[in-house]
Amino acid sequence: MSRLAKSLSYVGLTVALGLVVEGHAEEAGNFGYGQTATAEQIAGWDIDVRPDGMGLPPGGATPEDGEMLYEEKCASCHGSFGEGVGRYPVLAGGEGTLTEARPEKTVGSFWPYASTLWDYIHRAMPFTVPESLTDEEVYATTAYVLYLNDLIEYDFELTQENLADIEMPNKDGFFFDDRPDVKARRCMKNCKKAGSIQITSEPEVSEDADSGADEVVAVEQPAEGQAVYQQACAVCHAAGIGEAPIPGDTAAWSPRLALGRGTLIESALNGKGIMPAKGGQSQLTDVAVIAAVDHIISLSAKQ
Amino acid sequence: MGKDNSSTAILLQAVAREGEKLQASERRNFLKQGLLLAGGALSGAAVPGTALAGDNNLPPNVPPWTKSLGSGVLTNPYGKPSPYESHIVRRNVPWLTADNIASISFTPLAELSGIITPSSLVFERYHAGVPAIDPAQHRLMIHGMVDRPIILSVDDLKRFPSTSMIRFIECPANGGMEWRAAQMDSLQFTHGMLSCCEWTGVLLSTLLQEVGIKKDAAWVLAEGADGSHMSRSIPMDKALDDALIVYAQNGEPLRPEQGYPIRLMNPGWEGNTSVKWLRRLEVGDEAWYHREETSKYTDLLADGRARKFSYVQECNSVVTFPCPEKPLTERGRYEVEGLAWSGEGKIKRVDVSFDGGMNWRPARLKGLVLPKALTRFGLEWDWDGGPAMIQSRAVDDTGYVQPTYTQLREARGSSSIYHKNAIQTWRLHDSGKVTNVQIS
Repeated sequence: MSRLAKSLSYVGLTVALGLVVEGHAEEAGNFGYGQTATAEQIAGWDIDVRPDGMGLPPGGATPEDGEMLYEEKCASCHGSFGEGVGRYPVLAGGEGTLTEARPEKTVGSFWPYASTLWDYIHRAMPFTVPESLTDEEVYATTAYVLYLNDLIEYDFELTQENLADIEMPNKDGFFFDDRPDVKARRCMKNCKKAGSIQITSEPEVSEDADSGADEVVAVEQPAEGQAVYQQACAVCHAAGIGEAPIPGDTAAWSPRLALGRGTLIESALNGKGIMPAKGGQSQLTDVAVIAAVDHIISLSAKQ
Repeated sequence: MGKDNSSTAILLQAVAREGEKLQASERRNFLKQGLLLAGGALSGAAVPGTALAGDNNLPPNVPPWTKSLGSGVLTNPYGKPSPYESHIVRRNVPWLTADNIASISFTPLAELSGIITPSSLVFERYHAGVPAIDPAQHRLMIHGMVDRPIILSVDDLKRFPSTSMIRFIECPANGGMEWRAAQMDSLQFTHGMLSCCEWTGVLLSTLLQEVGIKKDAAWVLAEGADGSHMSRSIPMDKALDDALIVYAQNGEPLRPEQGYPIRLMNPGWEGNTSVKWLRRLEVGDEAWYHREETSKYTDLLADGRARKFSYVQECNSVVTFPCPEKPLTERGRYEVEGLAWSGEGKIKRVDVSFDGGMNWRPARLKGLVLPKALTRFGLEWDWDGGPAMIQSRAVDDTGYVQPTYTQLREARGSSSIYHKNAIQTWRLHDSGKVTNVQIS
């Protein structure tokens, strides 16, 4: 059902059922504040998708359709094979690791429903420019990630109609909260066997540090340029994501520095290539962004 | 001194009279200079800020701030802490997350008193950074299985009857770094994804009554207006119980970091469900199983299965003094202090052990003891200068007793990441230093 159809069906339900719910709602509209939401307004924000496919828009795509798109939009963080770059999430692999000491929880090894993948890509990805993909592109990248997990074939067309039928390997791996699962007892005296208390672990640094606190307290507040860089730029530039030059890489920076500070500032303020204006953080003042540029220049200029 | 005071008053009056003839900006400078002048007149010599570091200001000497005027009203229109407390800040663990946009910072619990966390020090958790929301252009949409889908402005929301409650908020990953082994030598990093504020807003039940929910409605999807569009499925029972749509914390408008202009607050539940920058509530008959309730925020057990919708933050406690940040300096009597909390209700009692859990002594609960709120406890203790293993163990009013690491791992293994509420052990060295250990 399309999102519009979904909201319209609720309107239909409203008419059909009228006011119900025992013990829940009283008569609606006690206060009458706000405006009634129109179907069109709801359709613009109602982006959620459920395991039964409710909320999926019309459309479809194959992994083949998604391959180049994934490489362009996703691989810089998630890796070309979904293996994850740095601490960014691993998307593929990990089958049979859930009982191991270091489980690898991926789409294929852990996620119970394919709908979650479509919903999440659509609502939150790509990380720096969420909600920028078309519905077709969401189908395509969803299909490609399922393909990376060997869950569909390269030419399988994932569609509004069949997405809910994709069976995920770990679909039965979850159970509802059944806590409390630990029954401890309030013992007051001689609660352990004499001599049984041993240290089983402690932080590796603890013998070297005075109190641990000194080390923590010594953290300095970074200068503005560095702080802005951390906030707006480091997400890509620190790891070289999307070929973003890494500060301090003088070889990568020298041709850019040759363009002049003004050009670099202009690029940072207005965006360049896949780099969004102000690193995607429009709330930053121009002065703050310029400070970040100067911070990068100071790290990257040849001494 | 009486004479001095009256002459200072006359001088200030003269300064004020002169100031009235000036433009606003000039007046500020003029008044500032006048106050410095008055300070000089009063103290005879010292002007604030000119005392040399290392001057002895202790009795019998009198410090310069006692012999001069301080800064006037509106020097800090919104106020800020003393510069001597600048070390009391949120901190993060850089290697914990891939970047600092989708990341977390920790509350400095060792530095706080009572049970309220100042808004400025509430831990931060973002999945796409803090959005810069203009409240005039923010809306809350409530739709789905309702009789009348509505769109509320922030002002519309504030017209509804409001309520205030003091409740803790805790990230379920608090202490998650400690599941496998003791790792962080700092209370801020072992327990600092935890804060407690007075939250003011409108009960979600009031809004659901307003729109009218349909017969088979069982869940509410909450969604944020940030770039992550954070979304969680909330069971109707909770939505109609104590879930609150919050617009103020600790008496002031919600901070941007905490969801300005409005957020959801699910008291006692994992913080992630209290969706910030709330823009949409959809009523439905089934859960949505979104990323933050499947891939994340589920508890993987040793047998490979995972617990889902594990919302409640179970009873927990930690000693906040002494702790790694607050070592002991000399032998003698101390009040050992700590915090206890339970997502199920009130803290009933807290016991403290100094010998690694062999023997326990009941602590006093101090100040307010509120449901689903931080509760402070204290116990006087004579330190003989020897080593100790200090622990606290809380019991809530359901009778639930906080477990040990051994008990928690027996039940869950060590891959759960979330909901670690095991008894914390601080190892007190004979030097007074305190380190983080786990013990058998």
